[in-house]
Amino acid sequence: MSAQPNRRTAITGMGVVAPNGLQTETYWKSVEEGLSVLDRITREGCGHLPLRVAGEVRGFDPAALIEETFLVQTDRFSHFAMAAAGAALKDAGLSDAAADSPYSVGVVTAAGSGGGEFGQRELQKLWGQGSRFVGPYQSIAWFYAASTGQISIRSGFKGPCGVVASDEAGGLDAVAHAARTVGRGTDVVVAGAAEAPLAPYSMVCQLGYPELSTVEDPARAYRPFTSAACGFVPAEGGAVLIVEDLDRARRRGADVRATVAGHAATFTGASRWDRSREGLARAIRGALDEAGCAPEEIDVVFADAMGVPEADRAEALALADALGPHGIRVPVTAPKTGIGRSYCGAPLLDVAAAVMAMEQGLIPPTPNVFDICHDIDLVTTAARPAELSTALVLSRGLMGSNAALVLRRDPGPAAR
Amino acid sequence: MSSEVTLEELAALMKKAAGVTVDPHDLEARVDTPFAEFGLDSLGLLGIVGELENRHARALPTDAEKCKTPRDFLDLVNSTLTAGA
Repeated sequence: MSAQPNRRTAITGMGVVAPNGLQTETYWKSVEEGLSVLDRITREGCGHLPLRVAGEVRGFDPAALIEETFLVQTDRFSHFAMAAAGAALKDAGLSDAAADSPYSVGVVTAAGSGGGEFGQRELQKLWGQGSRFVGPYQSIAWFYAASTGQISIRSGFKGPCGVVASDEAGGLDAVAHAARTVGRGTDVVVAGAAEAPLAPYSMVCQLGYPELSTVEDPARAYRPFTSAACGFVPAEGGAVLIVEDLDRARRRGADVRATVAGHAATFTGASRWDRSREGLARAIRGALDEAGCAPEEIDVVFADAMGVPEADRAEALALADALGPHGIRVPVTAPKTGIGRSYCGAPLLDVAAAVMAMEQGLIPPTPNVFDICHDIDLVTTAARPAELSTALVLSRGLMGSNAALVLRRDPGPAAR
Repeated sequence: MSSEVTLEELAALMKKAAGVTVDPHDLEARVDTPFAEFGLDSLGLLGIVGELENRHARALPTDAEKCKTPRDFLDLVNSTLTAGA
């Protein structure tokens, strides 16, 4: 965004695949109503593991959405990403974008773990039958970059591509990367993240995280900002955005759903939640600076909401540090308590929710969370009507990344 | 097992290894058409080579995975399989 400050960036399309909705509209409906879909894990081969509750994406039929040639060479996390990208392009009216000028469209995704399910299947062949039985597509399917590559190949895009592997908060970094790519002259960037971390192998990888909730009751497993906070619940899914030059979007008559106003990221070390207070506060200040936004202008905060007492305290204090007195007054929400954290996909789902919250003038609630024990105005129980012009989305990762993103409603002659 | 690989078998392998659906008769009619035009990429062909090597319990020439058309591929694979029979 610093390269060409005159080139502002719009979000003109969104696609969502989430545990509480396989389309953007159903996702928002569930979020708005505060629906919790956290449930016992049903995936085959996972029943004996101590992780019991997650946000599974159910009823997703990749064969109905994606060509078989792409399905056989990709993992579930890329299936989600391709489906969400297709929906986002359609929403933006850019399904045929490559036909006009393929080099004007780039792709950037963030990934936290890559294709675990595909990888497990091939590794089982390796140790069960031998190396000659491992398929060649293992070389690309597991890889963090797989979704970026497959989205661009599938749609015929030839613009600048990238992958952000910077922990969970990398989901926000990907949006910022896309905005900077637009600032450097690319018209459109397909930006997002989706994850599928609930295969047995992937789940075992997560068991070592002390922040992981192993509570068996879905209603009690993920309750950040309360005295009952006991860790977080993982989830599948994510979202993809169409990030586009604002002037170009206006010229072609696109529906500008929001603008990407500012971003900053910091790093404070793995599981050092006490330090994340300063890291998050600095990220917030950096994002506000880039957006040219005063603290009082923030109308709603989509919190990271880790669900670990020390991390929740750090986040509440970071809001006060960065926003001053406004930090304890601004409405805060965490819709992800109803669906879990899909790692890099989680902040993208929050961005999608923030955009729709601004469009609808409605702050969605934080499911399963009551009796807040921190000094923040957390929206619980039911959605709260509010005039929303500016939203702040926060994200932290288990490995120590912190990021903040400022979104604004389209300041121009709104088409909506 | 050293019988020749047929067009039917190749069509089935293209489906299994790379998700490419092609009718065996269509494959026969377009036997000199590059694999790429059927939607089969190099990793897909490599997967087919690996599958045939496992089925026939023998190595195929490294050139097999570089063949551009169904005819070239079947000629090379079958000459190798029948030579060692």
